[in-house]
Formats: sequence, structure tokens, C-alpha cells
Amino acid sequence: MTLLGFSRLRFRTKINLGIASIVLCIALPLAVAVSRMAADALIDESKKRGSVLVQNLAVRVEDPMLAMDLLRLKNMVDELAAVEDIEYAFVLDAADNVLVHSFPSAYFPVELKTVNRVADEVPLGIELLRTEDERLIYDFAAPVMISRTRFGTVRMGLSRSQTQAVVNRLVLVIFGLSGVALVSGFVFSTVFARRVTRRLNILREHAEEMVKGNLDLQTGPSLTRNCWEMLDCRLTNCPAFGDSRRRCWYLAGTMCPECDNSSPRGKLESCKNCLVYQMNKGDEIQDLAETFDVMALALKAHIGELKQAERNLTRQQSLMRTILEVTPDMVGLLDTNLKYLAANKALAAFFGRDVAEVVGSQDTALYPPAEAERAAAEHRENEEVLASGPAVSKETEWRRGERRHFFHVVKLPARDRDGHIMGLLFTARDIGEVKKYQEQLIQSQKMESVGKLAGGVAHEINTPLGVILGYAQLLQEDVPADSQILSDLKTIEKQAKVCRKIVADLLKFSRQSESEKREMCFNNSLMEAVSLVKHTFSLDKIEIKTEMDDRMPIIFGDPDKLKQVWLNLLNNARDAMDGGGAILVRTRLDSPAKKVTAWVADTGPGIDAEHLGHIFEPFFSTKPVGKGTGLGLSVSFGIIQDHKGSIRVQSPVPAGFMAAPRREGAAPGPGALFIVDLPLDHEVDVDAAAD
Amino acid sequence: MRRPGPVRFWAALFAGLVLALALDACSRDEPVTYVDLSKREEIVIQAPAKALTYAYLPQYSHTVSYERHKLLVEYLQQATGMPIRQIFPGTFEEHVQMVERGEIDISFSNPFVYVRLAGNGSRAFARIIEPSGKPDFYSQIICRKDNKALKTLEDCRGKRWIAVDPVSAGGYLFALGLFYDHGIRKEDFAEVAFAPGPGGAQEKVVLAVYAGVYDLGSVRDGTLAILKNRIDLDQIRILAESRHYPGWVYSARRGLDAAIVERLAKAMFALDMKRPEDAAILAPAGMRGIIPADDAMYDPVRQLAGKLSIDLDQGAGN
Repeated sequence: MTLLGFSRLRFRTKINLGIASIVLCIALPLAVAVSRMAADALIDESKKRGSVLVQNLAVRVEDPMLAMDLLRLKNMVDELAAVEDIEYAFVLDAADNVLVHSFPSAYFPVELKTVNRVADEVPLGIELLRTEDERLIYDFAAPVMISRTRFGTVRMGLSRSQTQAVVNRLVLVIFGLSGVALVSGFVFSTVFARRVTRRLNILREHAEEMVKGNLDLQTGPSLTRNCWEMLDCRLTNCPAFGDSRRRCWYLAGTMCPECDNSSPRGKLESCKNCLVYQMNKGDEIQDLAETFDVMALALKAHIGELKQAERNLTRQQSLMRTILEVTPDMVGLLDTNLKYLAANKALAAFFGRDVAEVVGSQDTALYPPAEAERAAAEHRENEEVLASGPAVSKETEWRRGERRHFFHVVKLPARDRDGHIMGLLFTARDIGEVKKYQEQLIQSQKMESVGKLAGGVAHEINTPLGVILGYAQLLQEDVPADSQILSDLKTIEKQAKVCRKIVADLLKFSRQSESEKREMCFNNSLMEAVSLVKHTFSLDKIEIKTEMDDRMPIIFGDPDKLKQVWLNLLNNARDAMDGGGAILVRTRLDSPAKKVTAWVADTGPGIDAEHLGHIFEPFFSTKPVGKGTGLGLSVSFGIIQDHKGSIRVQSPVPAGFMAAPRREGAAPGPGALFIVDLPLDHEVDVDAAAD
Repeated sequence: MRRPGPVRFWAALFAGLVLALALDACSRDEPVTYVDLSKREEIVIQAPAKALTYAYLPQYSHTVSYERHKLLVEYLQQATGMPIRQIFPGTFEEHVQMVERGEIDISFSNPFVYVRLAGNGSRAFARIIEPSGKPDFYSQIICRKDNKALKTLEDCRGKRWIAVDPVSAGGYLFALGLFYDHGIRKEDFAEVAFAPGPGGAQEKVVLAVYAGVYDLGSVRDGTLAILKNRIDLDQIRILAESRHYPGWVYSARRGLDAAIVERLAKAMFALDMKRPEDAAILAPAGMRGIIPADDAMYDPVRQLAGKLSIDLDQGAGN
């Protein structure tokens, strides 16, 4: 049997072979040795027996020899020779003459007299004889000594062949028993091996199942005596309580007072003295199976935890990916070679590529050729961040075609656990909207500054202007009615009044004039202004259409100043429409937002986009010189601001806003739409008011 | 350590088995002598040489008888220059008959046997001095030392008695005479038994009492001393002793040449215990010397026989 062949044998077969070999190794030499010893002992015993018999005969023949009682002597040798394995017996006298013998006929084998002679002083002589028919005979000779006088010799022949036959039978029995022991050993080893390998096979099958992922197997036997029942334990929060599958001595944190939970080894040692351990403890294979079960359960628990952790990780990855994909900010991570390790969709879209294309590429390869210079600059900056470590936070502007983009760019070195720079994090946020709001804020601050300046100037000018106007009027009384001086004075008076009007408007714009606010009807305020100009406008072929909110919203405001606002807006619309047109005035109450809104739209030529941000500025006007002071809309802005409201403009008018009011034949323009929001300062049940 | 491979294992196993079988093959080598049992011849018993026959009444086994008288017989041969052969009759009766048939020339017998032999013509010519130093002997009645029931002769009524032989003088008849004188008859005993088998009768009686088979026994004096190395004599108690009678006697058969008797007697009388070489001859024979005797000395024995109504023809022994 080759080594490979033996190693491939089944474990059960190996055990069988091993035990059979052991039995063979023990039984065979033992049988040989025992046979040898038994044979020797039998032969020795046979010789001792022969010795005793012949010496006994030597004593017994003394009396008959003295009496020369041949009959008794003959009886004695015949009795002895009648024993199965005694071949012959005879008695010689002192002169070696045969007195009696046990041979059937009167004739005596003469050669027997010449062998196995014994001297007087030798108590016994034994000689092995081989006869002519190959029989082996132990010849025993004992001298008959009476009172130290040799009277003769007794001889006896004991069959060695018969003894040998007994020995052979004995050897046969011993070898037979050895054979039975061998067979029994084989049978028992088969049973034993089957019993052992059955459990080992269960272990192996369960191990295979574990490899396949099935961890719900029980290899060890179920407990029939549970620890909490044996110890009458009521510690229900003990990990062993109610767990009939695992052995309590394998569980950490058990709450028995005797348990040493300081270490697994200490616990096992302390458990060895416990009744539960002593009653439920099995052999090594059971220990292995139970440990296997504990391992399977622990593995299952760990796998469960791992799966849960994996799920959490996947979810977090998904969330992070979603965040990165959804965020409009551009995010990318570059390695130390300034190649992108990761990039989000926004960044890829900025480069006009897929994410997969961005990853692994450098900036210089991603920017379009027209921006190669910029790409090189970014690359250098990235290298500086990687080399020296300080973060970069900057605002930058890209121009791509006609569009301008403003970004807030942050570049941070990414460090590993040891603090070494392992990459660079790049983020860029589009701050176009922020920029727009910044500009609006600047505009507001500018308006406020201008207002304050204008108010201050107006206030300072108002007094000397009154003096000029007063003196001009006074001087008119002192000059002739038709004189040139009077005419000049009137011109001074007229222009002074123009100045005073300008000053008054400036003061209104800067809210430095007093206002008298009260509760008022918003619709009425508007309708008063509309009715005031409606006729005049109609002469200019301008139609005014109103869509008032029938809930009649009430606001807290200054009716005169608000009327001025409405008149300014209406006049502004008329001035824009030289060839006639239409004006739509609409109001709407927005109760949830607590505001009321008025829209004033026209069909005029509209306002250029570049003018939209400036039309509320004082003295800004697109009208020809002398046609307006440029203060109308700025004054309106100031009044609405004073009412905590807001005014803004859109041009062109959104499509569909005022399709209905347009008159036929009029040349329609993009138009402009002014929107005025005013707060409902007081808690007024506008619905009730509307009723 | 390298694990022995299966090949090595099987090799070791095979070697072990071979060794075991080889050991078995080394059987005993004994020298054998060849004999041809088919060569045979007829057996012829040689007749003994002519000699004076000397017999000791079979009081003991033949071997004991031989051992006791071996040196004496050798001495007599040497002293007389005559061939003398000791022969061994099996029983008292055979002894008497052999004397009567002339097969025993010199008989050494007890007084009763002698009285009987004298009736057939034998004549006493010598008698021995007993080991006690006296030329007479007596019977001892013995029992076990721990037998509390036997304290006096009277206690022997109803008990079991073993004696040597119905014709034994010291072993039965002297004791019977003692009981007779005390008014105890043979019938008064629960049982009177005699030692079985040939030879050694005196010892058998002692052994039977020693073993507790019988309550009391009767032996001649000197018997206990013979057994001192074979049994614990402390366990034996001597209950009573008979009167002394003349001891063992040498007698010549009827018709034996008187000269021969004279030569023998002379040689016997010449033995002296004081001489060590003679003592070495006398002591084993249980005698301290041999002195002359005549038939008249045995009349008391004849009287005892009459008292006990013993038919001397039936014989009586020691």
C-alpha cells in the first residue's frame, strides 16, 4: 500500500486497520509466547509428574521387594502402565535383572535395560528415548534404596508424543482464541470507528454547510438538562438562561456566582467544578461539536453584524453619492499626481464630460483648448497646495462665450491618518445668484445714500430758494409792470418755483416730508387716480382697464401720497405710449402673505434691460430733456418704501398678462409692468369688509 | 519529530511477526537416545542363594523391619561366617506357618507367637533387653491428650478401642489382660477394632488415636518413640500400662542344627551396648542387648493366654 493510497483510505478503515494491527501485534506474539510457555510448562509438568510417579513407585516397591512379592510388584507396574500416557513400567533388582514389567508378553525389550542408568546417589534419571517407530518417550529411572542399600531400580516410560499432542491441541486453542480476539477486535473497532466517524462526518457535513453559508446547524447533541433547571437559577438576564443550544461554559458573561469571567481560560477552569459541567460534559468529539456550534453561532452573529454594517455603509455611500450628485457644487478629489480620484456630476458637466472620463485625468487634459492657459494656472495652484499645504479659497470668474460664471473655489489638502498629504479636495460653487443679489444690495445702498444726499441738499437749498422766490416776488412789486426787469423777475420766480418743486420732490423721495397715514381703501385710492386721468388719457388714445379685487382690501397709508404714486405710474405709462395704447391696472389681496399688490402694465416700448436697475434712481430718465425731472419714479419708490412696501419693474410684460385690454390698431410694444406690494398693517377682516 | 509513515509501520509489524514466529521455531533441543523396543528376551527370575533365613515377626513394615535388623543380620553373617538372609513374612500367621514349614530358621518373635511356635517344636535360645533396659515389655493404653472423658481405665467402658492385632502381645493381649484384671471385658467396649493392612500395625494404632478415629488404643512400649519424628507426641496421653512380660525372643526352628544355633547365640551374646560399634547394631534393632533364654521363662505368657482363653494355635503377637 502506498503512502498516497493509505492517506486516501477512509478514517474508519484506518481505525480498523490500526486496531487490527495492534491486536495482531499483541495477539500473535502473545499466542506464540503463551504457546511456547504452555508447551514448556506442560512438558515440564509431564516430567515432574513422571518423576513423582517413578519416585513414588520406588518407595512403594520397597516392601514387596523385601518380601520378594512379585505379584504385588507386577500389580504395581501394571497399575502404573494402565495410565493412558505411560508406555511401560518395570522393576530391576540390584543386579539389573528384570523382576516385573508391564509389557504384555513375557518378553522384555532388552535395550531398555542399558539406557538411563542411575547411580545410587542420584535420586532420578530422565532420558528422552526415540523408538524404532519414531515415538518419543521420556524414560524415568529411580533407584530403590532401603537403608542406604541399593535394592534395585524402577523405570517408567512416559509418552512424549501424547504430551506433544496435548501441547498441539493447546496451541491450536490459543491460536484459535487469538483469532477470535482478532475478529472481535475488528468487529469492536468497526463499531467504535463507526461511532466515532459518524460524529466526525456530521462535523464535516456541517463544516461543508457552513462553507455554503448555512450557519443554522446544530452539531452537538441537544441539552437535556439545562443549567438554570439544575441550579434552580432565576437570573433571566444571564446569557445562558434559556439557551438550550450552547453550553453555558462557552458563554461569556454568565452570571453564576462561581463563574470567573475575567478570562476565557479562567472561566473554563471555574466551570470544571460546576455540577452543570460535570453532568453535561461529553468527550472530546462532543466538545469539538459544541465548540463548533458556538463558533457557528458566533460566526452567524458576526456575519449578521457585518451585513448590517455593509448595509449601513452602502446606504451611507448611496447618501453621499446622492448628495454629491445632487449638489450643484462641483466636487472633486485629486491624488498627489493631480489626477482626479473622484468627481461628481456637476464637475463632469462643467468639463462637458462623463464622470468616468474625468476620473484619472488631470485638469490640463480636461479644460477645453481655449482655456489651456487657465488650466495651466489651476494646475500650478494645485501643485502649490499639495506642496505647501495651505488651503485656497477664492472667487473666480469664467467667461464661456457670452455667459459669465462666478465661482467660489476652495482647494484643501486631504491628509491621511498620519497627517501626510495624500491628495487635494476641490470644490467650486456657482455664486452667480449671490453676485446678482450683491449688486442689488449695492444699488439699494446707493439709492439710500442718494436719497439722504438729495434730502440733505434739498433741505439746505429750500430756505435760500424761498428767500430767492420771496425777493423775486417782492421786487416785482417795485418794478414797472412792463419792464424787462419785471419779465426777468417773473422768469426768476418761475424757475425758483421749478426749483422748489424739485426740492419738494427730493424731500418726498428721501421721506423727509411728513405723511399722514390712516386706514384707507386700496381700490378706492387707485380708482381715484384712474378716474382723474382717464379722460385726459383717452384723448391720447390710451385706454385704462381696471381689474380690482372685489374684496376691497384696506391698508394703512397716506391716501395723497399713494395717489401720487398711482398718478406717477399712470403718467409714466402714458408718456411711454406716444401713439396710444392700453394700461391695465389690477389689484389682488393676498391674505396669507398679508399683503395687497397692484400691477400697472402698459403696451409701450418697454424698458431696456440695462435701464431696469436704474429707473428708480433720482434724475434717471430716458425722456428728452425738459420732459421730466427724473424724479417721478424715485419719489414713488420713496413713498412705497415709507409704507414698508416694495416696488419693482418687469419688462417686457409677461406673456398673457394683459392680452384682453389691448386695443385694435394700436402698435403693441413689449410693455412694462410695475408691481407694488403693500402690507396689510392692521388685522382687518378683509373678507368682511368686502361683503 | 517525524511521523513514522505507513510503510515503516507495516514493515515494523511484519518484522515483529517474523521475530515472534522465529522465536517459536526455536524449540527445545533435547538429546534423544534411540532404543529398539522390538528386540526382546524372556525374563527369568534368579533363585536366591542358599542361606540361613532370619525373620522378624512383621510387627512393623518390611522396610522398618529390614532397617532395624539389617546391621544385626550383617553382623551375624560376619561373626558366624554363615550366609544369613532376612526374609519378610507378610503377617504373623504367615510368619508362624513359615517357621512351621522350615522356611524361617531363626525367628524373632513376641512371647505369644513364641509360645505358639514352641508348641510346634521351636526352642528359645535368646532374648533381648528392651530399650527400657529390662528384658521384658508391656502394653501401653493411649488416648488423645485432650480427651477429657478418659481419665481412668474405668472410663474406657463404652469407648472405641483400636488394638494392633488380635494376637499382638504388647499391642492387644497384655492390655486385654489389664482390662480383665479390672473387670472390664471385651464386650464392655463400644467397639474393638484392629489396625488394618499389612505391617506397621503399632504405628497405625497410634495414628488412629492421634487422628481421633478411636478413643483409645493399645501399643507395646517403645512404639511412641518410633513415631516421635512423624507426629506430635504431645497430643498423645498414656492412660495405663500393663504388667511386664518377658520380651521378644529368638527361637530356632525345629530341626535346626544346634551348632548353628550355638554359633548364632554366641555371636548375639557377644554384643555389648557399651561398645559403640555394637551399640550401632543394637540400637536400630530396638534392643540394648541379647541375653540367653529358655522356654520356661514364658510360662507367665502361657498363663495370660489361659486367662484370656486365647487359643494359641490362632496365634498371638506383639
